[in-house]
Order: sequence, then C-alpha cells, then structure tokens
Amino acid sequence: MSEAPDPLAAGALGGSLPPLLIAAERVAATVAQGVHGRRRVGTGENFWQFRPFVTGDPTARIDWRRSGRSDQLFLRETEWEAAQTLALWCQADAAMAWRSADTLPTKAGRAGLLLLALASLALRGGERVRLLDRDNANAAGITAGGGALPRLATALAHAGPGLPQALPPAFAQVVLFGDWLDDLGGITTLLGKLSALPARGLVVQVLDPAEVALPYAGRVRFVLPGAPLEATIGRVEALRDAYQARLAEQQNRLSALCANAGFRLLVHHTDAPATPTLLALHEALSGPA
Amino acid sequence: MSDLSFAAPWLLGALALLPVLFFLLRLTPPSPRRQEFPGLRLLLALKSSETTPARTPWWLLLLRLAVAALAIIGLAGPIRNAPRVAAGGGQALVVLDNGWAAAHDWPRRVQAVRDWLARDFAPSAPATLLLTAPTPDGAPPQPGPRMRVRDLLARLGVLAPMPWPVDRKAAATALATAPAGARVLYVSDGLATPADPAFRAALARFGNITELAGASPPLLLRPVRAGPDRLHVRVSAPAPAAPVMLRAESGTGQVLAATRLVFAGRRAAEADLVLPAATRNRLALLRIAGRQSAGSVLLLDEGARRRPVGLLAQGSGANERLTGQLFYLRAALAGSTQLRGGTLPAMLKQGVALLFLADEPIGDPAERAALMRWVRGGGVLVRFAGPNLAAEPMPDDLLPVRLVGGDRTLDGAMSWTRPAALAPFPPHSIFAGLAVPNDVRVRRQVLAEPGDAPGHPGRQDWATLTDGTPLVTAAPMGAGWLVLFHVTANADWSNLPLSGLFPAMLHRLVALSAGLRVPNSRLALAPRLVLDGMGQLAAPGPAARGLASAAFASTVAGPTHPAGLYGPPDETRAFNLGAALPPLAPMAPLAGARLAGFDLTSHPVAYGPWLLAAALALLAFDLLLSLRLRGLRLAAISLTVGLVLLPGLPARAQAIPAMPSLATHLAYVITGDASVDATTLSGLKALSAFVNARTAATLSSPVGLDPGHDDMSFYPLIYWPILPDAPVPDGATIARLDDYMQNGGILLLDTRDADAPDPAADDALRAIGTALSLPALMPLTTAHVLTHTFYLLRRWPGRFAGGTVWVARDAERDNDGVSPVILGADDWAGEWAAAPADEAENNQGAGSQAEMSLRFGVNLVMYALTGNYKADQVHVPELLRRLGEAPPGAPSPIPPQPGAEPAGPPP
Repeated sequence: MSEAPDPLAAGALGGSLPPLLIAAERVAATVAQGVHGRRRVGTGENFWQFRPFVTGDPTARIDWRRSGRSDQLFLRETEWEAAQTLALWCQADAAMAWRSADTLPTKAGRAGLLLLALASLALRGGERVRLLDRDNANAAGITAGGGALPRLATALAHAGPGLPQALPPAFAQVVLFGDWLDDLGGITTLLGKLSALPARGLVVQVLDPAEVALPYAGRVRFVLPGAPLEATIGRVEALRDAYQARLAEQQNRLSALCANAGFRLLVHHTDAPATPTLLALHEALSGPA
Repeated sequence: MSDLSFAAPWLLGALALLPVLFFLLRLTPPSPRRQEFPGLRLLLALKSSETTPARTPWWLLLLRLAVAALAIIGLAGPIRNAPRVAAGGGQALVVLDNGWAAAHDWPRRVQAVRDWLARDFAPSAPATLLLTAPTPDGAPPQPGPRMRVRDLLARLGVLAPMPWPVDRKAAATALATAPAGARVLYVSDGLATPADPAFRAALARFGNITELAGASPPLLLRPVRAGPDRLHVRVSAPAPAAPVMLRAESGTGQVLAATRLVFAGRRAAEADLVLPAATRNRLALLRIAGRQSAGSVLLLDEGARRRPVGLLAQGSGANERLTGQLFYLRAALAGSTQLRGGTLPAMLKQGVALLFLADEPIGDPAERAALMRWVRGGGVLVRFAGPNLAAEPMPDDLLPVRLVGGDRTLDGAMSWTRPAALAPFPPHSIFAGLAVPNDVRVRRQVLAEPGDAPGHPGRQDWATLTDGTPLVTAAPMGAGWLVLFHVTANADWSNLPLSGLFPAMLHRLVALSAGLRVPNSRLALAPRLVLDGMGQLAAPGPAARGLASAAFASTVAGPTHPAGLYGPPDETRAFNLGAALPPLAPMAPLAGARLAGFDLTSHPVAYGPWLLAAALALLAFDLLLSLRLRGLRLAAISLTVGLVLLPGLPARAQAIPAMPSLATHLAYVITGDASVDATTLSGLKALSAFVNARTAATLSSPVGLDPGHDDMSFYPLIYWPILPDAPVPDGATIARLDDYMQNGGILLLDTRDADAPDPAADDALRAIGTALSLPALMPLTTAHVLTHTFYLLRRWPGRFAGGTVWVARDAERDNDGVSPVILGADDWAGEWAAAPADEAENNQGAGSQAEMSLRFGVNLVMYALTGNYKADQVHVPELLRRLGEAPPGAPSPIPPQPGAEPAGPPP
C-alpha cells in the first residue's frame, strides 16, 4: 500500500469520540479479560457473589470482612468479564491506492485512517482488535493494550491484496473497508462465511468523488489501476448518467447482500471529512446502549 | 505588391500536396488522453456505442493545413523589391539639389540616387550629374562630364552639400547643354525659388523624369532677438516639422541651455531661451540638435554677448582693498564681465555697455552731454550715493530721482532708529526673484523726493527698505537706463556690498544692458571662419570675399559671401544664412514627372522568415491545443505558452545588462530629460574609461536606472542629476533608495547649477533630500577621506568650480563612516562628458579643469569601491611624528601645489 495510515492521525481523529464499548449480546468466545460481564463467576474486577467456604478452597480467597459478620467463612467471587473482539479488514490493491486529484486522499489512505481510528477507539474501550488477513499467518495477532495501534498500522501497511481467508472468532464484530466496485462474488462468499460463524458488523464502501460523478469528457482511454484492462471511450460525457445508474445499482445489490448477512452498509466519499463516518461507525458498533 | 517575387518558385508546387495532407490528417485522430479509473469495470458493463475513433476536429485540421501552407510559401521565399538585373538601356542624368536645404538628410539623398542608378542602369551605361548649387569657387552649376554609371556611383560618395541656396536659374541654363534623351532623376531640396518656372521648362525637355520627394523639411534658424535675460529664437520651415531641440553652445561646444521648439501646425516655431547673465557671455552659437546643416546653426556675434563695464570713482583710494569705492564692484563683476577703467571720455570712446559711477558727480558739461548721449543710445548708468551726492543733492540731471539734501542716518549716536533691512523686491523690479538675506542692514542713505526727477518720467523703485524708503531707483532714458543705489558702493553706509545679494543684483543690471553692438559699417569685413554644408566652421573657400556688415541683412549667402564669422577676432560679426533668405515655401512637384519616395527605390523586403515564424507560432499553438485535447495538466500548458511567448515579450529599452553582477558598472538615475540623460551617460562613459586607464579598477559600461523598478544593489555609485522640475519619488522608491544607501551604496546628487543657483532645482533637491533619510551633512574638506582615496585633491571641480560639496558628517558608525550621499552642484558629468577623449592617455593636462574633474571622479569611484580604506592617510603626518621617523614640521602628504600626485598604489 502506497500510503501507510498514520496511527497518530488516527488516534487524533478518534480522540474526539468516547471509547468504544462494543455492544455484544454474546461475546466472542475468547478467554481474554475484558469489560463484558459473562453473568457468571470468573476472573474479573467486579464483585459477583459471596459463597461459603468449602474445604479445599484456597484460604487466601476468604473474605475476612464478610466472614467476620457471621460464624461462617465466605469466599469473595468476581464476575467473569471477557473482552469483545473487533475484526477489521481493508481492501489493499492498486485501485484503492488511487485518487482523482492531488488534493484528495487516496481511498486506501482514508479507509486505513478510518480503520485505525476505529481500532484506537475500541482499544481505549478495553476491547480486542484484530486485523483479518489474507491467510492465517496473522491469526494470533489479536491485539490489545497501549502498543496495539502501531502494530496494527504496521500490519495494515503490509497487508496484501485479496479478500481475507482467515475468519474471526465467533460472535466477533467485523468491519470491512473497500470500494466494492468489482463484481460482488467474493464479498458474497465472505459475508456468507461470516454470518455462519456467526459474526456481525459493517461493510464500508470508500469511494472517490470522481468514481461517483465520472467528471471526464471527450475521448478518453481508461485504464484500470494495477490491471491490464483498458478501454477507449469516445464521448465519456454521454455515458455519465448510465454509469451513475450502474453505480447505484451496484450499491443496492451490495446493500441487499449485507442485509442478508446481518451486516450494514456505510458509504464514505473521500472528499467528505472522516469524522461523520467514524461517528456512524461508532454508533453502529456501540449499538443501543 | 506588384514587385513580389519568389526566391524558389518551384517550391510552391508543394502546395498541391495540401489536399493529400488534408485526408491524411482527417483520418488520423488525435490520440486520446489516458486516464486511470478504478470504476472501469462498471463502465465496461455498460453498452458502449462510442468506441469508434474520432475524427480530427475541423478547426485543428484547418490550423494544420495553414501551418503547412505557411511553411511552403515561406520556404519559397517571397521577396518584395527583389534586386533585379538592371536593364542596360538609356543614359542617365541625375539632377541633384545640393544646397543647404538638402544637407540634413544628405546621406539618404545620395543613397536614393545610388539605388536608382543601380536599379535602372547597367554599370557601363553613360551618366551625367548636375549639381544645382554654385560651387565653392563661385562657378555656376555645370553638367558634370559624361561618365559610366559605376564611376558616378563612386563619385557620389565624395559629394557634399553646399552651405548656400541652389541656383535653379543657372541650372536651367546648364540643363540646355545636357544630352537629350536621357532618363532624368531629380532630387529636389523641397524649397521653391523664383527661377522654378524656367527650371521646370528646362527639365520638361526630357520626357522621362523621376522626381524623388518625401524628404523631411529643412529647418532654418532666423536671427535672434535679444531681450534682457533671454533670446527669442525663431525657426522657419517650408512645412510644419516635428519638434526639435535647440541648444545654445559655447565656443568650446558646451551646451549652455536648451529649449524645445514646437511647430504646432505652423511653418515657424518660436521659443525663448532663458540665459543667466553669466552664461550668456559665453554663448557662441545656437544649433538644432541632431541636424547637420548650415541652416540649423546660428552664429552669434558680439552684439549678442559683449557687455564691457566701465568703473569710475573719485580719488586714488577707489581700488583699495575692502575700503575702496570700486573694490566690491570689481570683486562682484570680475570673471563674468569685461571691466574697464580710465577717464570717462576714454571709456565712452572705447565703448562700454554699463557704467558704474561711485559717488562721482559729472561736472564737465561736455562730459555730461556725452554721457547723456551714451545713455540715450542704450547705455546703463549705475550710480552709487556717497558723501559727495549727499552734499550736493542734484549735481546733474543724470539721476533717476530728485534727491533731498543731506543723508539719513539710521544708526547714529543721536538717532533712535535702528539700521533698516531690505524689503522683498517688488514684482516689477529687475531684481524680482532674488532672495533677500535678512542680515543686510542699511545705516545711511540718501533720500529721494517723492515724484519723478525732471526730464526722467517713469521712475521705478527697484528695491526699498522695510520702511518703504527707496534703496535702488531707476528711470529709463532713451534706450538706456539711469539707476541709483542710495548707498555707497563700499561697506561704509550699508553691508549690502558684503552680501551675496550684491553680485546677483549687479549681474541683473549687466543683463539689463543692451550690450555693445559693433556698429554696422560699410567697410568690408573679411571672412574668418565660414560654415560648411554640414554646419561646421571651416576656413573660407577660394571665392569668399569681404562683406560690409551694413549689407548683412540684405545679402543672400553664396560662394562669394558664405555664412560665417567676419572681421577680426575682437570685432567679429556673424553673418547667418537665415538673415536674408526669403520666407521658405515648398516647391510644387514637377509636371509630368514620376514621383517616388526616398525609400521605395530601395531594399528588398523578404517575407519568408516572417511566414516561417508565423508557421512556427501556429505550430506551437497546435501543440498547445493537442495537449489540451489530451488533458495534460494546466502547468504543462502554461509552460508551453510561456516558452512560446517569452522570447516575444518586449525587453525594457534601457541598457540594463542581463547579469549586472558580472562586472562593476557605474549607474545613473534616468531623469527623463533626454539631453541630461545623454550627457550623464557620456560623462560616466568618459569616467569609466578614465578609471580603467589610470587605476586597477575595471568598470564596465554605465547603466541607466529607474530607482522605482530596477535593482540597485549591483551598483556601487549612482549618479543622480536633479532637474528643477524633478518630482519627489514615491514612498516605495524612497524606501528602496534608503535601503540602497543603508547597505553601502553611494548616491551622488548633482543640481548642476553652481554658476547660477536655480531656486527651483534647490527646491527639488530639498524635497528629495527631505524625503530620503539623509545623515547630517558637512562641507567636503581636504581632511575628508574622499580627497585621499586615489589622488590627493584640493579642488573638485565639475563644469563649474568652487561649489560646496556636502558629505555625511563622519560620526556615523553604521556604514564604516562612509558617506552614503554626496551632494553638489558642479555638474561633474557635464565636465566628464566634455573632457577630451584621450584625457586618460594624456597625462599632461594636470591642473586643467577636465583633468581635475576626472580625478575627482576617480576618487569618487575609489571611495565607492574601497570605503574608508584610505582613511588612515589622514593621520600619516601625526603617526610619523609620533614614531619619530620625521622631524616635526615634515611636509604634509598633501603637496603644496593643487592636487597632483597619486596617493599611493591603486587599491
């Protein structure tokens, strides 16, 4: 990827929002310590119950203050609290590294910024963030804590093209960034696998304004970035309406696809500021609190 | 355009290929612009109907065809007036007016004749030349010998115009002997003469006549009318001409004054040439700038300039230093006028223009009568009061007022009054405009009775005291004036003679006098120097005879009496061409002649390069359009436009070097007055040459600057002549100049008016000086480092000598004590420009004003280049004394004679 997203910029962008606590009815099946109470006894910081001492219990766990009020010995037990896992993925190919004007960020740059900002929010909320990768090489790269964000940025900068093959743990929240201008076969398969896990989440379509408006005119030889595909079109302006209709249809199909898999589709344009989209992501992920 | 021909006509055949080119271009569309686009798959899914190659747009096609056509035609080389191989037929007769009126554009006329001969005749064809002006030996015009055209072409180069009018009557006679059947070229000087009908008839004998017309009209300077402080100049012409500059020159060629003559649609232009008294006596001739002709030079004789002054006083002590009656008069008038003494009859006989009588009653009736005759004839009698006049109020009737007996003492022991000051001069006074110093005090004076003196009506008070009593009174008498100063001519009664006002008042009086005209006589005066055809003074020709000055106004100049200076050196009279010539009228064109302009006969005009240039420009435009079609960046487009247009932008006309940092240049501020700028430029050129020859410094050619726009940081010294009407530069320019001075530059301001301080120039200098942030100034002395930087100087003259030069007081530390400004009025550039060209080589001129002026220039340049490097020279005597190397009283490094030796090795 030509333009590695800057974790500092992402942190600054995320700084304007409260930490993200992902709403989770069912937390991903991890053993990691987190903030999501599992309504049963386990490791955690919050008090869960006192239970009478049974022989064999370690004496160190006796709550002496509670035991002093009666003749019985009691043990203090805390609630099992687990972390939710946020799985992220960003399309990384030549088409994403494109921009229509020098004044705009590339799509990959903007998508990476959103991704890292979202990751920073989740990390601050105590959640675990994981980058979905093409293969499983990075499957253990579930990260949390202070140094997680730079590691994520590095991993993002070295991500290869193609849809992820590795899957997140069940009940994880998944956010997929991409332009989704290709045929939708790959995303259909991926969403099917994810919904079967089950995992829920969002699909973010990052588009350059030129991809929306098709602002060219005259005789133009179009080249697909990073692919040996090109076509010469005589009067581009004549095709503009048809192209925009075709794009709307693509978005409708994608939206329907997402709805089937329990995902939501967000569309972001690179000429718009990143904050509203980040806010929408935050709201969608934190859910009805 | 009938003369249009092609150098390579067969190339035009390529035009036939244009239709082929048309089809080729039409089938080859411009290549499409390339655009990366990730949404291409979506586009491909659309049904694309627009994939056929586009045709070239019709306008681009037209443009390219035009480029091709222009290139083909340009390469074929169209030429107008292509040199033709001359047809050999016929013989030529050239009739050439070579009088004074043809002189100003003589080379053009000769070139026109050359062109005509070369165009229409074979080199070996027979040709005859007839010059219509009389020859210098007095012979009337004769047809020249028959010669071949090529010999005539060679002879044309040595022909010169004559300083007198043409003689068409004799020319008509001469035409009768010319070979008939010749083809005639007549080059007229454009002036009608009474003999024109006969001349026309004589020319009409030849059938085939070409007349060249369209030359600029000749200009003729008419005699001047002299006023008290000005010369009224008139120039006549046969037709309204373009404005010209008139220069008043001294005998050595210095320009003393200049004015602009505008014709305003009339056939004459008039102007007043204002000349201060001091410069007027140096006036030798008037010349129309840029014209070489006997008609554009007006010689002035002594009638226009000689004003000897007689001084008369009683007693032997009249010339005593500081106390004598005549001492202050002599001091004030010496140098600018010729002073005469002796007895009254002797002086009157010798001829004086003014007579100063210092308290001298005229007792002898015969002398009184002679004096009265002299005044009535134009003399100016200036008298000063004194004890004699106070004792005898009306000694004679040669006083402008009646005097009251006795004198008025304003400062006596018994008086309550205090010495009176001068009131400002009234506007009708000849002294009007002189500044009155406020320290002039009058202690005693004689008093005038109210009303006119008997026999002299028209009394005028030219100067009064602040209480209204007259100090200088005057009355006209005949053509002359009676003037009375009511105080003594020495400092007994007032301190007026001690003030600077006194010489200025006396100069006004001298200018008032009509001057001494050598009377016209019937005695023939021998020609001494005569004008040649180009308006230069030369020795008289073989036919020149003497001419009585009484006949000057009625004699038309000719070979026997050429215009010039007549008579012995001390009584020279000027005889001018314009004195007796009839009014100038344009000559009508010849009937039946073919009229041709001077330039139509000449110089082929090749259009090929222009067409090729147009093709290139269109090609660049085409490139631009193609780039635009392919959607290349705006930057690329503007770069192309810049590349195409930049070389065509008009460069600033000034000779600012492309890289002024590569050499050291002197610079000057362009004032806008063409003559001043030209003088400054040539002065700086002369100084640069002098510096290059005498010192190790190497200066390149001087540069004219506009301080508002040009970068001044490259120039160590900027010369700035301040004109009286110089505007104060705007704030930005002032800031730039301040910046220049603060960063080590030196401004040399010169008002160029040390001889006759011009209040307007002083005002301009004051205004500019106030706007600039100048340091405190002090007069330049020999102690200043500026007088040691190369030569040891005690004088720093320019065209004028003795003016005070101001430099910064050296306490300023921020610029190494180097003065950022040098201020003076001596017109150095004028003197440098006038210095002989070989001054640098010829070291003999030490002591001459030009040499000293150039040496000061060298010191200026060295000062600008080395700053205070030589400042320690000032302390050398003291250092040597302290070291004990030299006994006390060792000679100072400044040699006693006025500056001569170089101060040391050039820095």
